[in-house]
Amino acid sequence: MEKVLTDFVKALRNSNVRVSPAETLDAMSVIDEIGYDDRELLKRSLSIVLPKTPDEKQKFETCFDDFFSDEIKKQVPVALKELKDIEDVESDLAKKLLEGSQAELMISIADAAEASEIREIRYFTQRSVFTRRILEKMGVGKLEDELMSIGSSRQDDIPTELEQELRNQLTGLRERVSDYVQQQFLLHGDVSGEQLREQVFKSMNMAQIDRSYLHEVHSLVRKMAKKLANLHSRRKKNYRRGKLDIRKTIRENWVNQGVLFNLSWSYKKVDRPKIYVICDVSGSVGAYARFMLMFLFSLTEVVSKLRAFVFSSNLGEVTDEFKDSNLDKAIETALQKHGGGSTDYGQALTDFVSLCIDEIDKKTTVVILGDARNNFGPEKANLMKIINDRSKQVFWLNPEGKYRWDTGDSVMTTYSAYCTKVFQCGNIEQLERVISTLLKTAI
Amino acid sequence: MSDGPKKTINKITKGFAKHGYICSDQISTAVYLASELEKPILIEGPPGVGKTELANTAAMYFKKELIRLQCYEGLDESKALYEWRYGKQLLYTQILKEQMQEVLEGAKGLKESLGRLMKFEDIFFSEDFLETRPLLQALTSDKGSVLLIDEVDKSDEEFEALLLEILSEFQISIPELGVREAKVKPLVMLTSNNSREIGDALKRRCLHLYIPFPDAKLERQIVQARVPEISESMQIQLVNFVQGIRQLDLKKQPAISETIDWAKTLILLNSEELEAKLAEETLNILLKHQQDIEVVKKEIPALISSATETSDGKSIN
Repeated sequence: MEKVLTDFVKALRNSNVRVSPAETLDAMSVIDEIGYDDRELLKRSLSIVLPKTPDEKQKFETCFDDFFSDEIKKQVPVALKELKDIEDVESDLAKKLLEGSQAELMISIADAAEASEIREIRYFTQRSVFTRRILEKMGVGKLEDELMSIGSSRQDDIPTELEQELRNQLTGLRERVSDYVQQQFLLHGDVSGEQLREQVFKSMNMAQIDRSYLHEVHSLVRKMAKKLANLHSRRKKNYRRGKLDIRKTIRENWVNQGVLFNLSWSYKKVDRPKIYVICDVSGSVGAYARFMLMFLFSLTEVVSKLRAFVFSSNLGEVTDEFKDSNLDKAIETALQKHGGGSTDYGQALTDFVSLCIDEIDKKTTVVILGDARNNFGPEKANLMKIINDRSKQVFWLNPEGKYRWDTGDSVMTTYSAYCTKVFQCGNIEQLERVISTLLKTAI
Repeated sequence: MSDGPKKTINKITKGFAKHGYICSDQISTAVYLASELEKPILIEGPPGVGKTELANTAAMYFKKELIRLQCYEGLDESKALYEWRYGKQLLYTQILKEQMQEVLEGAKGLKESLGRLMKFEDIFFSEDFLETRPLLQALTSDKGSVLLIDEVDKSDEEFEALLLEILSEFQISIPELGVREAKVKPLVMLTSNNSREIGDALKRRCLHLYIPFPDAKLERQIVQARVPEISESMQIQLVNFVQGIRQLDLKKQPAISETIDWAKTLILLNSEELEAKLAEETLNILLKHQQDIEVVKKEIPALISSATETSDGKSIN
C-alpha cells in the first residue's frame, strides 16, 4: 500500500505541488490513522498534510481525482460460460482474455508497458502512441486477425457468442490500457508541461517571447524574483535598528561586580540600498525593458528604494505607475507614454542628471538598460562620468549579443568605460544572473 | 480511543458546535489529525474567518489552557521564549558577596578558597531566575495546553527559525540550562494572514489548513449559532446579501465576523426585513473602506432583490 502513496506523491510533484520526504512520512502516518476505506476522508486528510498553499490545494484536488479514479469499477465480472471455448481460440491474448484472470491480465499489461519503455513518457500527446504500443506488444494484432478469420468463416451475419465475448473483452482491454497509460503519465510525465515551458522561456531571447505568453512569463519571473529575494533578504535584515542588549550588558558587567559599567547595544545597521534604473524603451529594446522592470518591481521586498526611468528621446519617471497598479498595465502605459521615437542617449543622460543627480550617493546603484545605439547623436559620455563618480556603481545591460556591440551606430565601448560592469542580457536566465549580482553588490 | 476516525471527527464537529463554533469537515479533520499526530497546524485564510477563534474553541473543547503569543515585527526570544530576571540576579550577586565571607572564612591559601568556591552551589543561571514566556509556558504546562501563535506572518524571518525546534521536537534549548522538553505536548496552532510568505521549513513541519469564506449554508449555520435571536427569513436574506457582496470586486471582502456584527446590529435596530435604506446606513459595519462602500451602495437594490428572492424561493420549498 505504501507504493500507492509514494506514487501519488510522485504524481503530485509532477503537477507542481512541492512535497518533501518528511511530508510523505506525515502522509503515511495519516493513512495509518485513517486507512484507505473512506475516499472523502482520505482526500480531506491528505489535503491537510501534503499541499501547503491555496494554489497547491487546488492542484491537489485535481491530481487526487485523477489518480484515485475509480479503479474498482473496472473489475468487470467475466461472463465466462464454457471453458471449452478457450480451446477454440489460438492466440495467447485471446486465451488470457477468456480465462478472465484480472490479476494476470494486469501483470501482462505492466510487462508490455515496461517493454515499451513507458517510463519515457513525457507529454500528454504521447499517450495514444504508448497505448497502441502496449497493445501491440500484448498481441492485439494476432487477436484481431483471429477475429477476422472467425468472422469470415461463419455463414450468417450473427456473430457467435465467442466472437461477441472476445470483442467485448478487447474493448475492455483497450480502456484498461489507456487508463494505465494515463496513470503512468501522471507518474512520469511532465503533466502540465510547465517545466519544459519554463526551461524554454528562460533561455529564449526576451524580445522573441510572444505577447500571449506574457502572463506565464510574469509568473516565472516572479518565482525567480522570490528566490533571489529569499537569498538576499536575510543579510539585509541582520542589520537593523539598535537597542540596549540587557542580556549582554549584564554578562559583560559581571566582572564589575554587577555594576552596569559598559553598555552593550544590539547593533543593527540601517542599510538602504538605492537602485535607479534607466531603461531604453524605444523600438526593439522595449521588450527587454518590460522584463527588466517586471523583475525589479517583483523585488520590492529586498530593494527598499527603487526608481525607474524610461526614455526613447526624452526621459520620464515611471516609479509611481509601477508601485500602484498591476505590472502588466504599468508596463503598457510606460511603453505607450515614452516608447517609440528615435533614441537619444545624450538627451536621456542630460535629463537624468538634471533630474536627480543630487540624490545619487555612494549607496546608489545605477542600472542602465539599452543597446547604446545612439543614431549618431552626441554621446555626452562626460555625463556618464559624473554619474559614475557620484554613485556606488553603474551597471550597463545590453540585450544585444556581444558581437554586435560597436557595430553601426552602437557606442557601447564609449559608455562602458564609465561603467562598473557591463553585461549581455538577452534572456531571462542572464537577467536573473545580472540581478543577483546587482543585489549582492548593491546592499 | 477505539472510535473510528470518522466518529471522532464528528464528535469534534459537534463538540465545537456546542461552544458556538460551526466548522466544516475540513476543519474538524485538521483538528483531529493535529491531536492524533501531535503536529502543529498552520491556519491560513482571509482575516475574519475565525482562525483565532478556532484555537479558542479547541482550548475549550479539549479543556486545556490557551496560551497565546501574538506575533509582531521585532518579536524576539526574550519576549517569546524566556528571559532572565536580571533584577533578581543582581540582588543575588549582592547577597552572594556577603555570603562569600562566611564561605571563605578560615580558608588558607588561594587553592583552598577556590576549592570551597567551587563546592558552593551556583544558582545564578537556574530555573529560579527564569521568567517563562508563552512558548516555554506551553511546554512546561503540566496539563498540556493549546498554544496559539497568532499572525506568524507579522514576525521576522528569524523568529520563524526560532519556532522550528519547538514545532518539530517540542523542546527548547536554553544555552545556560540545556534542553527543556515538553511535559505534555501542546496542541499548537499558528495563524497567518499571508501578508508575507511563510518559509518552507516552517510549513513543512505543520499541517496546513486553509479556511476560505464559508458557503451560504455554513454561514447561515454560523449566524444562527452566534446570533440565535435572529429571525429565519432575516438570517437567510442577510447571508445571501453578504454572499452577494463577496462576488463584487472589493478591496476587502466582508468576513464572517463582519456578518455576525451586522446581524447583531440589525437585531439591535429591531428590523425584521432587510431594507435598502437600512442596509445603506449600516454598510460601514460590513465594509471597512470608503471605496468599497461606494461600490456596494450602487449595487444595494440588486443585491437585496436577489437576496429576498432566493429566500422566498427557499421558504416555498
